[in-house]
Parts: sequence; structure tokens; C-alpha cells
Amino acid sequence: MRFEFLSEAEVKQVHQATLAILNQIGIHTTSPRLKKLLVNNGCKEQGDRIVFPPEVVEKALSTAPKTFKVYGRDDSHMLEFGKNKAYAQTCVGTPSIMDLDSGEKRDVTLKDLEDYVKLADALEYIHVISPIFPRDVPQEIIVSAETVAMLRNTTKPLRICAESSHEMKYIVDILAAVAGGKEALRQKPLAYIEVSPLSPLEYGFDPAEALIDIVEAGLPLGVIPCPMMGSTGPMTLIGCVAQHNAEILAGVVASQLLKPGSPVIMSPRVTFMDMRSGVGLWAMPEMGTAAAASIEMARYYGIPSTATGYSGAAKSADAQSGYEHLYNALMPALIGTDVLAAAGSLDNVLTSCFAMLVMDNELSSVVQRTIQGVEVTTERLAVDVIAEVIESHGNFLAHKHTRKYLRAGELWDPPLGDRQTFEKWALKGEKIEKKAREKAKELLSNHQVEPLSAGVDAELELILKRAREEAEIF
Amino acid sequence: MSREEILTRLTEAVIEGDDSLVVELTQKAVDAGVEPLVIINDALTKGIRIVGEYFGSGQYFLPDLLLGAKAMDAGVKLLEPLLVGTSREFHGRVLMGTVQGDLHEIGKNIVGMMLKTSGFEVVDLGVDVPAGKFIEKIKELKPNVIGISALLTTTIGRQKEIIEVLTEEGLRDQVKVMIGGAPINQAWADKIGADGYAEDAITAVEICKKLVAAS
Repeated sequence: MRFEFLSEAEVKQVHQATLAILNQIGIHTTSPRLKKLLVNNGCKEQGDRIVFPPEVVEKALSTAPKTFKVYGRDDSHMLEFGKNKAYAQTCVGTPSIMDLDSGEKRDVTLKDLEDYVKLADALEYIHVISPIFPRDVPQEIIVSAETVAMLRNTTKPLRICAESSHEMKYIVDILAAVAGGKEALRQKPLAYIEVSPLSPLEYGFDPAEALIDIVEAGLPLGVIPCPMMGSTGPMTLIGCVAQHNAEILAGVVASQLLKPGSPVIMSPRVTFMDMRSGVGLWAMPEMGTAAAASIEMARYYGIPSTATGYSGAAKSADAQSGYEHLYNALMPALIGTDVLAAAGSLDNVLTSCFAMLVMDNELSSVVQRTIQGVEVTTERLAVDVIAEVIESHGNFLAHKHTRKYLRAGELWDPPLGDRQTFEKWALKGEKIEKKAREKAKELLSNHQVEPLSAGVDAELELILKRAREEAEIF
Repeated sequence: MSREEILTRLTEAVIEGDDSLVVELTQKAVDAGVEPLVIINDALTKGIRIVGEYFGSGQYFLPDLLLGAKAMDAGVKLLEPLLVGTSREFHGRVLMGTVQGDLHEIGKNIVGMMLKTSGFEVVDLGVDVPAGKFIEKIKELKPNVIGISALLTTTIGRQKEIIEVLTEEGLRDQVKVMIGGAPINQAWADKIGADGYAEDAITAVEICKKLVAAS
């Protein structure tokens, strides 16, 4: 799209501020590998921090690829990064879920993760799968177990968040087993993996080490710190965007110094805080407007990006969650981003909800429709058609132009929303959240996921067994 | 300025969260011969109590609270060398830290500051704190309560580990355990046998007061 939130001059101002932050303040890291990589390639040690001269940053920005692809087990689900297609991604890491039968909030189990992934697999406008957080799996192998559960229950591409570095080897092995080897995985990555350094400007050991492992494995890397306006970043939206841009670029630079041309994704998440309770908010409008500004920076650099679109503070799938998610998704989508995350989330991305995922599928459908834009051609401008209809004293319904473009999909067809007459609606009087729940139940009982081959499945089991043994869980 | 006037203005400076003015007026009060404990009780603590009341009534927000606490601390710091032989009264001692492998601390810091402004002595062990360090400090400082913070889904298991080690060391009944962090809930607190959990900083203070009163 061609919308802008910041003017061109403002984008350059933010970029200059970003360069100043990186050059004067820099980052701190406890990872010897990251430190060595940066310092050996033009960055400088300044006290206990590492600063980035502008020329190092600019050079890295020029080698980061503008486009690349991520694949699902089924090629039809391939994602084209850098094309601003605003794919919807399920929310990562929520420890809670709204029970589909009782509607009550409770801890996520492995069974929930499997069901949730299966539902996402069934929903047409959910494109990328990320794991919710099962509480009945040993912590030491959690990401490995999640990755296996996802691969068994979807053929769509995965987005994995590497919160610790020690599982990276298993994750790569798991993905390689499904892809048909490590080289095949590099050719057609089944996932992109994101690391979350700490705000402000802190590359802790685990995310820093994982970053290097991901780039070395040849997988697309995402950099996703999450500052909060006024607590882990400046109170001002644009100040927080600038700091955040700098902490993301630090990771982008690291990836390009390690392997110029390696695929990297900017994943800005400027969040904020309830200044009375201290509760972290992923609500609107700040989340959406900050995402628009951050995504405009990624667009300026020509680097693929993701934003958290489908998030809000609402506690149930209802009117509030609907308007929050649509606002936060549409803002960055209009600027132009590749992935909108957190589909199906509630309560500031702490809870997942089957019904909300079905509602977000609806929102994703309308976002897709919006960013398509319109094609301006003589035939579509239809001046001749208008003349013909007026001359014939008829109407447009009986014109072939109408039928042609109706068939071509000129009207959006809501996958879920109600458009009946009042009286027909009143027969059941259903609210959208109830319809969404029913649809989730129906899809869960009917949808079939293409299974992994028996051989691959057994191999994944072996990798998990090895991970368990090496973590000394028996 | 009379002594009363100095103390009134000092109280106001804490309410305003003006740390340099607090330092200036604290020095003035000392020079005027006001007892350090009187300065603390009748001006600094009074000021922070009012900050707490404003916060409670919704007039003040977290930054007001933190700046107020910072201003009070600046005054207390100046007076500490003069306090030899006397001691301040606290509701209780709280030891806090973020678990091993986790560097997230903003939530812990907010709770710590709220506890301080509510009259607790707070010892902050920082981030990435292994279980052993918690145990060592519990033995050394004998806190009434420990607060264990974790944000990452891969690190919350450490809260359980610390409670287990406390039990193994025979220390479990000597200290109350509070846990916190965005992914934490009451069910997790119950499961790992924590004494308290709060979903926000305000409730954390209430629970901490109850735990200390019951101990």
C-alpha cells in the first residue's frame, strides 16, 4: 500500500536518531560469540557496550535481502516475504487458553496446542503457525516439543520463538528431518525463527547465542524485542520507535556481518503500560500507531517485517477484541508488512481463544481484501457501462459488467459475519462470538491434516527422546 | 526558614518527586539541627505516604510514584551516615530477584518500589539470579518474604526450583514466597506451593502485607 504514517522527512529523522543511538549508546551483550562477531567486523567496544559506526550499519542494510520465501509442508502455503502480504500468524507463547466447551480460562496443555494448530490449519486466512505454551511439557525441551506438535498438526509454515539457545540444535534437527535434510531445509525453510533481545538495547546471552545459531543454520531470522513506552523505552511513541528500531537493527547488522545476504526480518513490537497498575498492554491505539511508524522504517530499509496486529486488552472474544484487533492489524498492514502476529489472542497476548482465532480469520480476510487495493483500468472505471445503463433506462443489475466483476470477486464475502435480514437473524439471534465457537468446534471435528510420513514421525520422536535424555528428563 | 517550614517544604518536594530539592532541603534541615529520624519520619516518609495516597486515589501514576520514591531515597541517603545507633522501622524485609536465565526486571522493579513506598525494606538481587544465590541471601538477611520474578515461558520453572531448594534446605517455613511475572497465574502459584501471587503491583503490596502480618 502507499499509505504513510510518518512523512519522508520524519522517516529520515528517525533513521538519524537510530544511527545516533547505535553509534553513541550501542548495545550490551553477555554472549562472547556475538561480541566477537561485532567487534571483529567494525563495531567498537566502548566501556562495557558495543557501538555501531554508521557505515557498518548502512553496509549491513544494503546486504539484507529484500525478499525471500518460507515454506509449509505443503508448498501451496508458501510465504513470500518482502511482498507486504500481511499474512496472519497465530499468537506465540500464551500460557492460558479459553476452554472451548466451558468458555473458562485455564492453563494450556499439549492437547490444546495440537487442537489449536489444527484449527489454524483449517482456517483459510491464517497463514503462519506459532505455538501456544503447554504447561504439561518439561521446560527443558519445551520449544522442541512445541515444534514437533506443530509439524504434526499443520502443513503451513511455522514461526518459532527461540527464548533459549540450548534447544536450537534440536529445533534445527526437527525441521531438517521434515524438510529432508539440512540442505533441503536451507533451500526451503519450514520456519523462521525469532529472538527477543531485551529493551533497552540488551542482547542477553540466550537470544544473542540463538541469533548466531539461526543464521548459521541458514534459517530466516526475526528480531523481536518488545519495549514498553515509558518503562523499558521512552514515553514518547516516536522515541520508543527510534530506540526499538536501533535494537532491531543491531540484530540485523549482526546477521549480515555473520553471513551477508542471510534472510532477516524486522519484527517491531512497541507496547505500552497501564501507568496505574503496571500491566503490560498490547492494546490500541498505541500498539497500532507505533507499529505503523516502525513498519515504515522497515519499508524505508527494504527489509521484510512483521507486526503484532491481532492483539488487544479484551478478556473475551467480543466487540472490544474485535475492534482492537482490527485497528492494530490494519494500521501496519496499510503501511505494508509481511506478517501480522497474535491471531487468536486475548488479554494482552497472554491468553489464546479458539473463538477469537475464528474471528481473527474473518479480520484477516478483510485485511487481505483491503491491501489488495483496486485496479484502475478503463474497463473498471466503467464509463461506457454507466452510459449504457442510463441510455437503456435500466439498472446495473442486468448488465454483464456487473456479473463479470461480481464473479471476479468485487464484493468481500465474510467467512463468519452476519448479513441476514433482521427477521432471519432473529430466529437464532446469535452473536458473532457464539458463531465463532460453533465454527471452531465444527472445524476441529471435521478437519483432516495431512500426516507426516511414519518414518519422519518416528525420527521426530527420536530427536525428542535425545533432547529429553540430554536434559536428563526420564 | 523555620524548622517547620523546612520540613513542610521537604514533604512537598517528595510529593513533587524533585530529588535535587529534597537533597537541598534535607541538608538545610540537618544544618538547622533537626534530628535525622525526625526528618525521615516527619518529612520524607510523610511525603511518600501522601504520594502513595495520591496513587491510590488515581491522581498519581507509576512515574509519579517512582520519582517520589527516588526523591525520598536521595534524602535518606544523605541522612544514613548520621543515623548511627538509631534504626528505621520497617513493616518487614523483602528479598527480590528475577530467576536464572531471565533478564526481565521492570515488573519486579515496580513491585519493589511500591513495597518501599509502603514501608518495607527491599533488597533487590537483580536479574539472572540462581536458586543458590536466593538461598545464600535468605540465610544471610532472613527476609520475611521473597519475591521471585520470571517472564519467559522457558524460565518460570525456576520459581518451582527455588521453592524446592528452600524445602530441601529446611528454610521453607522461615520465609513466605511470592511469585510474579506476566505468564504467572494463581493456578501456577498453587501448583508450586507459593504463598502469594498478584497480577499487579498494587495487589502485590496488599498480599505482602498480609503475608508479613501472618508470619
